[in-house]
Amino acid sequence: MDIFGQAGFDVIAITDHVVNGDSMIGKLAWRFKLTITENNFKEYFENIEYEAERAWKKYEMLVIPGVEISKNYLSSDKSAHILIIDIKNFIPACSSYESIFLEAKKQDALIVACHPHHMKGEIRNTLYLWKNRGKYGKYIDAWEIANRDDVFNVVSLKKYPYIANSDFHKPRHLYSWKTLLNCEKDKEAIKKCIKHNKGVAITLFRG
Amino acid sequence: MILWIFLGLISLTFLIYFFQILALRKKLKEKIFSIHLPAISIIKPLKGLDDNLFDNLESFCLQDYPEYEIILSLENQNDPAYRVAEKIRNKYPDKVKIVIDNSSKALNPKVRNMITAYRISKYDYFLISDSNVFVDSDYLRKTASSMTEEVGLVTNLIVGTRGKSIGAIFENLQLNSFIILSVCLLDKFLKMPCSIGKSMLMRKKDFEEIGGFGAIRDVLAEDYQIGRLIHEKGKKVVLSNYLIKNINEYWSIKRFLNRHTRWAKIRWKIAGVKYFTEPLVNPIFMAFFITIVSGISSLSAILFLSSASIKIMLDLFVIRMLKQKIGLEIILIPLKDLINGIIWFVPFFTSKVNWRGNKYVISKNTVLAPAHENSFMRTYLRLKTIFSH
Repeated sequence: MDIFGQAGFDVIAITDHVVNGDSMIGKLAWRFKLTITENNFKEYFENIEYEAERAWKKYEMLVIPGVEISKNYLSSDKSAHILIIDIKNFIPACSSYESIFLEAKKQDALIVACHPHHMKGEIRNTLYLWKNRGKYGKYIDAWEIANRDDVFNVVSLKKYPYIANSDFHKPRHLYSWKTLLNCEKDKEAIKKCIKHNKGVAITLFRG
Repeated sequence: MILWIFLGLISLTFLIYFFQILALRKKLKEKIFSIHLPAISIIKPLKGLDDNLFDNLESFCLQDYPEYEIILSLENQNDPAYRVAEKIRNKYPDKVKIVIDNSSKALNPKVRNMITAYRISKYDYFLISDSNVFVDSDYLRKTASSMTEEVGLVTNLIVGTRGKSIGAIFENLQLNSFIILSVCLLDKFLKMPCSIGKSMLMRKKDFEEIGGFGAIRDVLAEDYQIGRLIHEKGKKVVLSNYLIKNINEYWSIKRFLNRHTRWAKIRWKIAGVKYFTEPLVNPIFMAFFITIVSGISSLSAILFLSSASIKIMLDLFVIRMLKQKIGLEIILIPLKDLINGIIWFVPFFTSKVNWRGNKYVISKNTVLAPAHENSFMRTYLRLKTIFSH
């Protein structure tokens, strides 16, 4: 939070992973406690709320709570990551796609398809949503057109609503693709702006 | 016989190191009793994001000082530091102004960035302060107290802090040993004026008498040049023992190498033949060099390992004197010193520098020329440098 605050950002979403437990990779994540679970979600959410208050007071930076639903399988075609931004209650990653999307909609959260296409240097991609876009596209509010240093031109060719994300895991990921929104610094206005996808621009942030 | 000579050389390096520590100790014990609190304009040239930038800038807004202003100057609004500057200005609108101007033709980008800020600054005293430093609330009060009638420039000691990446740890270890000790030795025992660009307090009258920005616009080491000219004018250059913190958290090794090859080139262009004495303050590199020259033997290995152990202990002692925390990163000291030993050779092969995206060729006294000069110009500058030494 402070890395973005010190760099003058206006809005960030914190989206830790909620990993599926029904695959070998997912089981490993559960084993090593690398996932948000139903049990620690409340604590996770409270921590974000605390940091959000601090960020607003110190940097006037808005912090939005979220999760990255991570359906990890050995096959890239089966795997998918979904950002649920402005989440209120826990959503398990083992549920079906429909139930995840419907639950997110019920919570009035924003649904974003993460790194939906091939990424450079990744052994395993997350292509499920792209391959099934006909079926699930209607639930998705925006698709990542850029993630860190990767750009997915297919999103632009299909004219889908888009955003860019830093997929921040390490301090150097600060310098990556970002989204510029032409709206008020307010949670609802931000969600609306992304959904309507008017006045949205992407920029490659270099310190 | 050769080994005895080498042993003598290593002993000499530790003797010099001992004097450096003594100089730092004397410097830290200095007391200032004057209470002189003139109104001050703080000029902060910004370019790009520094680690901890928001807090660094805010620390200047929270000074316990009667009257001062802060001018944040940038070359353009697209600079990533602009957003941070804007937030600071919004938070402290009475103290902070932002200036954006890129009309100057000065080659030194920092000087280029400060000219308009200087022009609009309203007080008779001004302080040039880099964006990568963090200060406590008594900084301005204590620094200004050193500014007596016979003093023309007050500058501060710097300590590197908060390293989280390898590059940043190297950087802080270097600042908290070689750099601070060398500065103190020059100041206390060799009585040479030391000016450090991260914090320089001056009277506008004195600055203009030495030629103002016109005198430093096309040199890389503008801080050295200001200190030298003020000293030549007969005014004192005071190194305040107030420690300002240079926050280096997430540096890459590339950035560390870039800064220290640049600084080595500056020292070579300024010091000339005196630059050859520098390896005498790097006992680890000296011991390594001896090991290579005399061949790897159990004796040379013992020599190298004992030099490395003594150096680690002495650096640890210095870091504690500076009241800085250090953990396991001390084991990186030998590696850092070896890298610096290699960096020492770089200025003999190239005069090109890359400073925050600007590329130059430097000649004697760090006079700048754009790096895209034709090969004839570069050859001329190189020959000029060789023959000037």
